[in-house]
Amino acid sequence: MNRVISSFRDGKGFDIALVGAALLFLGIFAGLPLVYNVVMSFQAVDMFSLGTFARPFVGFDNYIAVFSEPIFWPVMRNTVVFVVASIGGQFVIGFGLALFFTLKFPGSTYLRGLFLVSWVMPGLVVGAIWNWILAGDFGVLNFALTGLGIIEDNIFWRSDTAFSLWAVIIANIWLGTSFNMILLSVGLASIPRDLYEAAALDGANGWQRFWTITLPMMRATIGAVISLGLIFTLQQFDLFAAITSGGPANSSNVAQYWAWDFSFRQYDFAKGATISVLMIALVMVASVIYVRSTRHEVRG
Amino acid sequence: MTAQPQIELTNIDKHYGSFHALRDINLTIENGQFVALVGPSGCGKSTLLRSLAGLESISGGTMKIAGDVMNGVPPRKRDVAMVFQSYALYPHMSVLDNLTYSLRLKRRPKSEAEAAANEVAATTGLQKLLRRLPRELSGGQRQRVAMGRAIIRHPKAFLFDEPLSNLDAALRVHMRKEIRALHDRLRATSVYVTHDQIEAMTMADHVVVMREGVIEQQGAPLELYDRPANMFVAGFIGSPAMNFVDGTVDGSGTGARLALPDEPSIQIGKRLEPGRKITVGLRPEFLQLASGDEAALHLSVTTVESTGSTTYISSLGEPEIVVVVNGRTDVAAGDKIGLAIAPENVHAFDPETGKAI
Ligand SMILES: Nc1ncnc2c1ncn2[C@@H]1O[C@H](COP(=O)(O)OP(=O)(O)OP(=O)(O)O)[C@@H](O)[C@H]1O
Ligand SMILES: [Mg+2]
Repeated sequence: MNRVISSFRDGKGFDIALVGAALLFLGIFAGLPLVYNVVMSFQAVDMFSLGTFARPFVGFDNYIAVFSEPIFWPVMRNTVVFVVASIGGQFVIGFGLALFFTLKFPGSTYLRGLFLVSWVMPGLVVGAIWNWILAGDFGVLNFALTGLGIIEDNIFWRSDTAFSLWAVIIANIWLGTSFNMILLSVGLASIPRDLYEAAALDGANGWQRFWTITLPMMRATIGAVISLGLIFTLQQFDLFAAITSGGPANSSNVAQYWAWDFSFRQYDFAKGATISVLMIALVMVASVIYVRSTRHEVRG
Repeated sequence: MTAQPQIELTNIDKHYGSFHALRDINLTIENGQFVALVGPSGCGKSTLLRSLAGLESISGGTMKIAGDVMNGVPPRKRDVAMVFQSYALYPHMSVLDNLTYSLRLKRRPKSEAEAAANEVAATTGLQKLLRRLPRELSGGQRQRVAMGRAIIRHPKAFLFDEPLSNLDAALRVHMRKEIRALHDRLRATSVYVTHDQIEAMTMADHVVVMREGVIEQQGAPLELYDRPANMFVAGFIGSPAMNFVDGTVDGSGTGARLALPDEPSIQIGKRLEPGRKITVGLRPEFLQLASGDEAALHLSVTTVESTGSTTYISSLGEPEIVVVVNGRTDVAAGDKIGLAIAPENVHAFDPETGKAI
């Protein structure tokens, strides 16, 4: 008994207890639902069997059903466009801002702090504000674009099938840019200044310094930002609910919204779970890429 | 072409906000010269070097490299190479890529860059390490890569900012010789910043002593040692530091009474007006143990420290006097010793201005 207590006090037992607590937490709140979700995707689920776990297994029937939905491919295409365009926009603008804020001008740290505002706002609120900005008749965006002469006639962002997905993408880029910027700023700050000085003396201009020093030194950070971005965009739901509700005519429907629609509007939990499983697979791929990119980290 | 100085600084001033970091710096460095900038911490050595590299902008004056005015020219167009105290090796590149970085930027053919890298690796002893990353190297090896990266460019000038201060004492002495030998072979104009006066004295052709942004004195190493212009340089150059004793010129004008117990009198090797207050400088290595009539001053010993080859005898008092004796001695703490010094080795300074008389 004494041995147990002392091992607890002297580290090893304590370590195990800490890890155990974390694992237990993860298991109950993430592991079990995950497994439950996967199991459900292989079962026939309806309103009556929802309360029991003993439901008939139907093999890949749910998957076949989901794949043969007429909007399956459009939704997948929308999801890919949404993820790629959102991450691309957030990353490029976030990186640009991060680089901009490395120029230490008066008030730069406060200004950078202000960017975090977008991050603390709930998605539904952001969606509501963007609804006004994007409004076809009185929206500020149309006003600006026509004023600059970029477009002739007002665009009905939310109700035009050609633009509805992009309306959500624009709002999502705005929402995620500050997160990208902060993470990339931290990465930039950890690159020693004298490397840039050495490179400048070696004859590198600003562009060459960016390509040969900044980018390779930022590899791990960029990997982290993009894979976290993938997870955040795949779970972005509020903006769809607030701006387009997946419409019109599913033109802005994406996997995560579709899954919710199946489960909680059509009460077809099996199909909802099936789409979730497909998304889990995608996130797993991203996680592997992320872990690999940090493993190759080179510093100092 | 060779007649013009390689680096020419006239009336250089540098302000950091309200802080005046460099004041009216004038310095001419001939082609192929090895110049050391020394001075205590914070005196502006790095600032001057970084201004030369273009990493800091200067507030006033003219800076010429190889005859061209460099004020406002960006670092990459100055054609100077710098070895940083931190080495600043590119952590994500192999030794080979570190060495060839500047050549690759200039889009030199790969074969040419690798040939140059191999040649530099041979002179710096890095042949077997070309595939390694910087973090897989020892401190001394990193230092060599930093040197190699500078050498490969054949720049107009090499700038070193305390390149040896991260190495242990033995390696430092070794690298000191190596850098000097390299310089003797390449004959490239070099500016070497250090706070270690021994490094400066042993490596450089020309030593510049700085304090608080001002050049106190510059010249050949032994000239600074033999004829320091003021008490600061006299105290900074030489190890252990020169002893300073207040004194008054006596009636003859060629001797001085020292403000020590018994008010001893010594010959000062020059004629000054009688009664003038002076500060006398006595180098520890020129004070000799003496007895009887030869001894000009007498002191009681407080500590005796010997390294085996050299013995340091000190007399703690106001002021403290240190004597260096070659080899060993049987003098012990508590003894009373007599000391003598040749008049030509006695320095005299004005106590008000600190300037040499
Ligand atoms: N960016 C800066 N802003 C304000 N003051 C500075 C700046 N850089 C240096 N200084 C000041 O300028 C003075 C000279 O600095 P410098 O780095 O040239 O000293 P140094 O002689 O190289 O000292 P060390 O031997 O410690 O390296 C110091 O008093 C320092 O505080
Ligand atoms: Mg310095």
